[in-house]
Amino acid sequence: MVRHTPESVWKHSPCFKSMNSVQNKSILIFLLASIGLIAFPHINHIPKAVFAFFYLLLSWRFIGIWKQNWLPNKPVIFLLTVCGLALLYSQYHGVFGRDAGTRLFVTALALKLLEIKSERDLYLITYLAFIVAASQFLYEQSLLMAAYILFVCSILLATLVCLNSTKLQPFTALKTAGIILVQAIPMAVILFILFPRVEAPKWMLFNEKHQAKAGLSDSMEPGSISDLGMSDELVFRVKFTGALPPPPQRYWRGPVLSYTDGKKWTQVKDLRFRPILDKPVFTGLPYQYTLLMEPQDKNWVFALEMPADYALPLSQNANYQLVTLENPDKRTEYKITSYPGYNTGAITRIEYKDAMQLPGDPSDKIKQLVKQLHGFDSTSDYFINELLNHFRKEDFHYTLTPPLMEENPLETFLFETRYGFCSHYAAAFVYLLRVANIPARVVTGYQGGELNKVGNFLEIRQADAHAWAEVWLENKGWVRFDPTAAIAPERIERNINIDQLMPGGIINYMPADAAQAAFNWLKQSRQLWSNIDYHWQRWVINYDNKNQSGFLSSLGITDIKAMLYWMVGSIGLITALLSWLLLYQKQQAIDPVVRLYNRFCQKIAKRGLLRGPCEGAKDFAGRVKIKLPEKATSIDQITDLFIKLHYGKNSTPDDFKLFKKRVKSFKI
Amino acid sequence: MNRLSLKERFQLSRFFSGEKAVDEPVKLTHRRIFILPTYRGLNFAILTAFLLLMAFVYNNNLVYLLTFLLASIFFITILHSYKALAGLVLQKGQSKPVFAGEAAGFTIYINNPVDVERFNLQIKLEQPESLTIKPQSKTCVTLYSLTQKRGWHTAGTVTLSSTYPFGLFRVWSPIRFNLKALVYPKPSLQERPFPEMPSTNIQKGFSQKGTDDFYGLKGYQPGDSIKHIHWKAFAKGQGLFSKQYSSDSSEEIWLNYDNAPGHNTEERLSQLCRWVIDAERIGIPYGFSLPGLKLSPDNGTTHTRKCLEALALF
Repeated sequence: MVRHTPESVWKHSPCFKSMNSVQNKSILIFLLASIGLIAFPHINHIPKAVFAFFYLLLSWRFIGIWKQNWLPNKPVIFLLTVCGLALLYSQYHGVFGRDAGTRLFVTALALKLLEIKSERDLYLITYLAFIVAASQFLYEQSLLMAAYILFVCSILLATLVCLNSTKLQPFTALKTAGIILVQAIPMAVILFILFPRVEAPKWMLFNEKHQAKAGLSDSMEPGSISDLGMSDELVFRVKFTGALPPPPQRYWRGPVLSYTDGKKWTQVKDLRFRPILDKPVFTGLPYQYTLLMEPQDKNWVFALEMPADYALPLSQNANYQLVTLENPDKRTEYKITSYPGYNTGAITRIEYKDAMQLPGDPSDKIKQLVKQLHGFDSTSDYFINELLNHFRKEDFHYTLTPPLMEENPLETFLFETRYGFCSHYAAAFVYLLRVANIPARVVTGYQGGELNKVGNFLEIRQADAHAWAEVWLENKGWVRFDPTAAIAPERIERNINIDQLMPGGIINYMPADAAQAAFNWLKQSRQLWSNIDYHWQRWVINYDNKNQSGFLSSLGITDIKAMLYWMVGSIGLITALLSWLLLYQKQQAIDPVVRLYNRFCQKIAKRGLLRGPCEGAKDFAGRVKIKLPEKATSIDQITDLFIKLHYGKNSTPDDFKLFKKRVKSFKI
Repeated sequence: MNRLSLKERFQLSRFFSGEKAVDEPVKLTHRRIFILPTYRGLNFAILTAFLLLMAFVYNNNLVYLLTFLLASIFFITILHSYKALAGLVLQKGQSKPVFAGEAAGFTIYINNPVDVERFNLQIKLEQPESLTIKPQSKTCVTLYSLTQKRGWHTAGTVTLSSTYPFGLFRVWSPIRFNLKALVYPKPSLQERPFPEMPSTNIQKGFSQKGTDDFYGLKGYQPGDSIKHIHWKAFAKGQGLFSKQYSSDSSEEIWLNYDNAPGHNTEERLSQLCRWVIDAERIGIPYGFSLPGLKLSPDNGTTHTRKCLEALALF
């Protein structure tokens, strides 16, 4: 007789178990590694000191996995907490808001890491890590970041799986977490689409100064735009509903610069809004397009010349430039219609004054040049033509890295260096026209754009920044002239190939030869990626109140009640599908002989005689016969047949039929 | 599985102590599986609420997406929790008799007939045990329940539970089997000499060791003490023989309820129990009598069992 001592039983107390999981190395490695990964992209977002503090404590805890004694005790943890708070205070940025909140959570997570006593602490750390993961999105919302965070979250979830299944291998845990994550995606997407987006009330918005974003400046000093010319950064994307305008017409209008001090060109101070009725007369076919602006620090929207129809929050200023009334910090989509042909009509007195302004008397050298080109004694058209020819015929060059022109840049450019880019040419052109008494002004903006063949939209990058001139002509109104086109028509016809721009060198235009083919696959993959990114920005990042109602009404969901019904309905459907997928258990294909025998056993079980899990058929029959002597013969027959069919070698189909008949007729 | 009446279906006890006790194997289905979030699960819900607030304030769609993803995971975990137990078949096994004060062991067979591995199940009668069951396999676990009194000991509810996969939900299934174990009286701690038998002609102060004088061999009969088997002969392949001792015939004793010392029934039974064990160990044939029961002198496990059963159920 074995005596069971109770002591042997009490081993698995809950306390014992939780101690185990806290000291379980693989769980800790998993958790700490995922936390290290989750906080890493913050390297650019939080002060270096806070970042270093976090990774110092993380490494400390990591070493502590193997050297338990090295972990800090309570007073040290208290000191570290004080340090952390002091660090936060020294980087003081308020209590609320993105930056302060992120720092607070990162520091709290680091401190909590050193105090892992129970399973509860592990959960708290995991939850804090999820918050830190979410805070990454407040800084960066790219597709890559989303994929990265998704990956790290699956490691965090795998940690939880490890905690709840002690014998599981880390890789299997990761797989389990991944599977559940994938199963959760459809429901998350439904929620994402249907969850009502409401703008947060104003008091909840924390006004924070974000880093200045690159863009066109509101002034132009030939030479100041060269950096922008090199930047590959995306400014906006345009998707046309119909045909695309030909490349020479792709002028995206930005600020108009009328005032010059001889070196620098700036906007005139007093920019009034143009009365709605005072619209140009449009001719030609309209271009309808959606313009997706990347976050900007200025409220300019670069419409195709000349914008005709637009909706709030857009409005047009006196220079026909579109500006938005909303915060440009957010990626926003606008629907605009433009006409390639337009006539702005008469010039106003103020416009005329601004377009004729000169910084003092022009020098004799310049007057000489204007005179030589018949500036003073012919029509405007003739002079403009002469001037463009002058640029074309003389030894003028187009370069993105012109020599510095500190003193009297105009004359230096026109008579000495003759190397320059769009700003130089536009500035010189406008200046000379004004000398010749023709109203002219500089328009800045973007020109061209790369067609993404995959998504059929234009991408306009900082490299496409451009400056051209606008001249007021009798009966025509403001007319666009691009002196750069005269000197480097390729600049307008085709885009600069940024990839081939060598610093300091003269720009290479892509020749249509083998070199291009070599870069083709690179370009294609880049376009594919741009297309994905475009849709990501447009449909995911930018999916706001407006987009949502637009998208949902196209599905026939118009009010919040319908939204709710759809949400509940689709979640129910997904749940039903998942339940079926997860819970439908394939029954083993049971041998029909065994199935019949089980039926026989079930019949006997009605009398309270159960076949033990490991009881042989013969033993069972023997036991049953004692209790049911009147059935002894049929029990024996069935048992013998079962043994013959199930274990024996030479059983016949007839045996099975007999067996089936006997089991069926067996009554109790 | 038998059907539940409406009244039974709404009984709160179903959640904690399970349905009425059964003998048949129990398959775990939606009727017997219950799921509730743990404290950790509730905290997870608070986390998602916090993230939702964050997404709302910053109007950040990726934070929204993360929030909804976590919320969906929370929701889907309910299905996975259910899957952790669903389909398992529990069956009760035999239990062995124990002495009062010891833990009675109940064997429970758990069959996992499907292709799903069950991780970290907790099965609990009085103390939890954790186990993992491979796909399409059976396992058995012995659960212990402390006994106090002699007689039939009935075990309560067996609870199978799991927090797999994330610990956000606890899924449990309370099952009651007719788990009964026979509990013998606790053997008295005091060592007392066997009672004197007036009917037999043995001198006072006889040696308790009745195995002194070897008398001869006889053919083994089931029930003969294992200690008396002539192993040497058996090893030589001569068959099973039991050694006969001269004292065997003369030194039989009677363990009688009336002769047992003790202030009350329990003490007397306890003493009798002790004597039965001692006599069996030494190998003296002992007769046994309780009011209403008389077993003629004998040896062997069957005899001992009969005596102890009688004591347990007296």
